[in-house]
Amino acid sequence: MRGQIIDAIFARMARDPDIFFLTADMGINLVEKFADKYPQRFLNVGIAEQNLVGVSAGLANLGFRPFAYTISNFAVHRCFEQIRNDIGIHDYPVVLLGTSAGYDNAPLGPTHHVIDDWGAIKSIPEIDIYCPSSVTYAGFLVDHLLAAGRPAYVRIPKGEYKTPDSTAHFVMLPGSRQDTVLVSYGGVVQDCLAAQKRDPSLAVLAVNRLRPIEEEKLAAALKPYRRVIVAEDHFPSSGLYGSLCEIAVRHRLNGRLESLAPRDYTLDVGTSNAYFHHKYGLDADGILAAASA
Amino acid sequence: MDTQVKASTTPVAGPLPNALPDPAAVRLSILDMLYRAKASHLGSSMSAVEMLIAMYGSVDVKKIRDREPGRSRVIVSKGHCAAATYATMAHFGVIPMALLDTYHMNGSHLAGHVSHAVQAVEHSTGALGHGINVAVGCAIGLRSRGIRNALSLALVGDGEIQEGSVWEALMLAAHLRLNNFVALVDNNRISSITDTDKVLDMRPLAARFGGLGLAVREVDGHDVAAILAAIRELTAGEQAGVVICNTVKGKGVPFAENQPIWHYRPLNDELYAQAKAAILAAVGGN
Repeated sequence: MRGQIIDAIFARMARDPDIFFLTADMGINLVEKFADKYPQRFLNVGIAEQNLVGVSAGLANLGFRPFAYTISNFAVHRCFEQIRNDIGIHDYPVVLLGTSAGYDNAPLGPTHHVIDDWGAIKSIPEIDIYCPSSVTYAGFLVDHLLAAGRPAYVRIPKGEYKTPDSTAHFVMLPGSRQDTVLVSYGGVVQDCLAAQKRDPSLAVLAVNRLRPIEEEKLAAALKPYRRVIVAEDHFPSSGLYGSLCEIAVRHRLNGRLESLAPRDYTLDVGTSNAYFHHKYGLDADGILAAASA
Repeated sequence: MDTQVKASTTPVAGPLPNALPDPAAVRLSILDMLYRAKASHLGSSMSAVEMLIAMYGSVDVKKIRDREPGRSRVIVSKGHCAAATYATMAHFGVIPMALLDTYHMNGSHLAGHVSHAVQAVEHSTGALGHGINVAVGCAIGLRSRGIRNALSLALVGDGEIQEGSVWEALMLAAHLRLNNFVALVDNNRISSITDTDKVLDMRPLAARFGGLGLAVREVDGHDVAAILAAIRELTAGEQAGVVICNTVKGKGVPFAENQPIWHYRPLNDELYAQAKAAILAAVGGN
């Protein structure tokens, strides 16, 4: 999905002279074309993420629409104060593009597990948050971000998922019964779809925009279900589970709200995210076990 | 953002004063603001007065006041010298003088750290090691837009340069040879609680900046003409620049000069009177 987003930005730069693309020395074989074609609107600031955000804010002051690209954990955790002060407080329409989500960098260890990123951003009210679950939404997202003109964080999962083929901010893929719905975002949506394939009675709700959530619409979509299982590669209290708990209370949802998610950091090494999805019950087996419990 | 906070202060219109403000007159305004508000940061405000005058004196302040897109950017990275910043802006005619009375007051836009709720303030600061990065971004943006008659100037503290992000900004400015960017270091040799040399000895400072590939000038930071000349020289050159301004923390207020406690202490009636007398004696002296 990273490719769709990068390509969409590159394509828009031809007709939008305000777009400025910045990287903190990430994106090999991906960002070079920006340097070649738009040297005045591309900058590699080096391995200096605080400066990536600060410089982006300065460019926004000049009226540019900066897209700042690096790995999610570097973008968010290192730069929290820059994001809060220099983007959030100023309402600058800087888009932080964080590559990797959840356990995309599985074998690289806990510094590179992105399981507490958007929850941190969620504590800053000004920043919109996106996590595309398909190439369709990823391809649509850049135009949407430019039209919205708001500070935003995009958590970009690895993978090229065709389903759900939708540009909606959330999309319901109903099951054969309105009993249990699996709610997820990003790459874990694929695990939910795999579970649905084995048990067609399950519904799947994929959320592409994590904030703002279309609350009334989402509450109405969840209302008929007896069980709502939130599966996410992120800590639950600061993640979607936490957001849905608030919505459930505000809208008096009667369904049981359950969480499948990691709850701590781990030093475990796994070859791919499948290892960690299994460990935390986020794979199809784990999801089906939870749904049948 | 809260709309009340976002609301801008009353715009100022009409012609601007021709002459540069008298530093003593600016200090008097600062003193009144701090006394009225029982506010801190006297030391760091007083050290930066001539620097701020030279920064605004180096650029077209009318464009700043009128928020023209092609304006120069003046960014106060050591945001705790807010009183000095607002006072200087008022003496340049960029914001109304009467606005200074509201410093620290309920419902005011004039916070104790520089706030862009105040018209013509470019960027809110307060946490250190932020404004200079934004100023580098502005310099890059000005260059990218092809705007050659505008500068990006950042005021940083000599304590502030202990923040690593400052060096990220300076390395990039040097690498890109941003000759429209100048950082001015308020080298008052005192940070929050003690002497900077005792905490992290950065001497020789000029060599450290020079080693990054920056053009460096070192001047008396209370000599407006010297600072103006340094900015002019640097921006006529080919490199990004730094002006080390050697200053006295608390300058102009004898009992506060070089005393770290005046980063924090508010003025009582007696000390206010003493300070006012000392500053009044200096009015018109520069």
